[in-house]
Amino acid sequence: MSAAVKATQKKYCSRAIVAAIILGLPFIFGGYAPIGKGLILGTIFSILNFILIAETLPKKIGAGTRRKQTAVSLSSIGIRFALLAIPIISAIKLEQFELVTTVIGIFMVQLAIVSDHSMKLIASARKRRV
Amino acid sequence: MNPEAQSIVELCAYAGGGIAMGLGAIGAAIGEGYTASQANIAVSRNADDSGTIFKNMLVGQAVAESSSIFALVIAILLLFLDIGTASMLKAAALLGAGLCMGLGAIGSGIGSGFPGGQTCFGISRQPEAAPTLTTNMLIGSAVCQTPAIFAMVVALMLMFMDFGQAALNPTWAALIGAGLSTGLAAIGSGYGGGKAAGASCAGVARNPKTVGNVTTTMLVGQAVSQTPSIFGLLISFILIFKTFPETAALAPSMALLAAGLCTGFGGIGPGIGNGLVAEGAVKWVARNHRAAGDLMRIMLVGQAVSQSTAIYAMVVSLVLIFVL
Repeated sequence: MSAAVKATQKKYCSRAIVAAIILGLPFIFGGYAPIGKGLILGTIFSILNFILIAETLPKKIGAGTRRKQTAVSLSSIGIRFALLAIPIISAIKLEQFELVTTVIGIFMVQLAIVSDHSMKLIASARKRRV
Repeated sequence: MNPEAQSIVELCAYAGGGIAMGLGAIGAAIGEGYTASQANIAVSRNADDSGTIFKNMLVGQAVAESSSIFALVIAILLLFLDIGTASMLKAAALLGAGLCMGLGAIGSGIGSGFPGGQTCFGISRQPEAAPTLTTNMLIGSAVCQTPAIFAMVVALMLMFMDFGQAALNPTWAALIGAGLSTGLAAIGSGYGGGKAAGASCAGVARNPKTVGNVTTTMLVGQAVSQTPSIFGLLISFILIFKTFPETAALAPSMALLAAGLCTGFGGIGPGIGNGLVAEGAVKWVARNHRAAGDLMRIMLVGQAVSQSTAIYAMVVSLVLIFVL
């Protein structure tokens, strides 16, 4: 895997988990533990999904035949989606996790990506105005 | 609890869950595949920047996947959530929720693959424009997800609202129609929005200095492309919130089901058409940004005309709901 991909992974995964901890901890210590725990649980699986996308990229491309590439892609999607189902099922079955915040946590990496670029866009717009 | 109603609710919940995930996987897989195919072309053109291309492919695919994750969430909820009081109306609502989310994720999934693919290809042409292209791609992809979010909102409403006081006949048809209306209408809007976003990324790669004009035209084009899915959402809300009198006849039920189908199917073509208009405008703004004002006006007129068939469909749906 290239250094650029690894750096991207590291950047967004660390931002996602830091955001989840910063947002989740006040709920955990404030007596609303399931809200904070759900957010952190969803974020952990969001990160795992993002890491797996990146890990399977070279395998998809270097799989050789088209049939092998299709098999690698399908198994990658199957495994990742089965993985993402775990926190949702846990939140439904266990009272320790709040369902809504678990679902928000599942999108934490995507939120980190979009918010990072939105901030850059706002900063560059301000710079241009100055 | 009525055991027959309980088993029918379970049947509809399982069927709805299967439909939501099955259909919901189609779009994202195609979109991600398109992004990867363009990344391959890009790497073969410019192997020196393969790291940046891979990075953008990864980020693009992660965002494009969101619509199928929405479908996954709804599917898991349908399969595992405790539904509460079982009734035939609940069964219809759960089936409608599955249909809504499954269909609603198709267009957004395919559409958000276009900006990802065009960004990867664009980086091979203009490596120095990579940061601008990534931002443009993410804005375009994020807006593409809007119709899938509409579908998720309607699916959640169908799952969690209490329809206990409503008349079984014809409300069951209204609830399934509500799911079909937003789900089907979202297909065209998601795909069309993606075409505009893809053209925007290709345009920025061609001429990075035009990014301001190109992004503005893309956003306006995408916003208008979303209109058919908003019509679908409107009809869904009417079908969910309106109280229908009890009837033994089948015709009123069919009228409500047809109302949902009418706006749903009627929104697919205009959504795609609006996207094609926006794609053309965005493409040429990048080539000749001095004509951006004229191109924007022509785009809006073209989209308004393309939109008219969705308006006809919505009018017929309103007649089916309120007149017949």
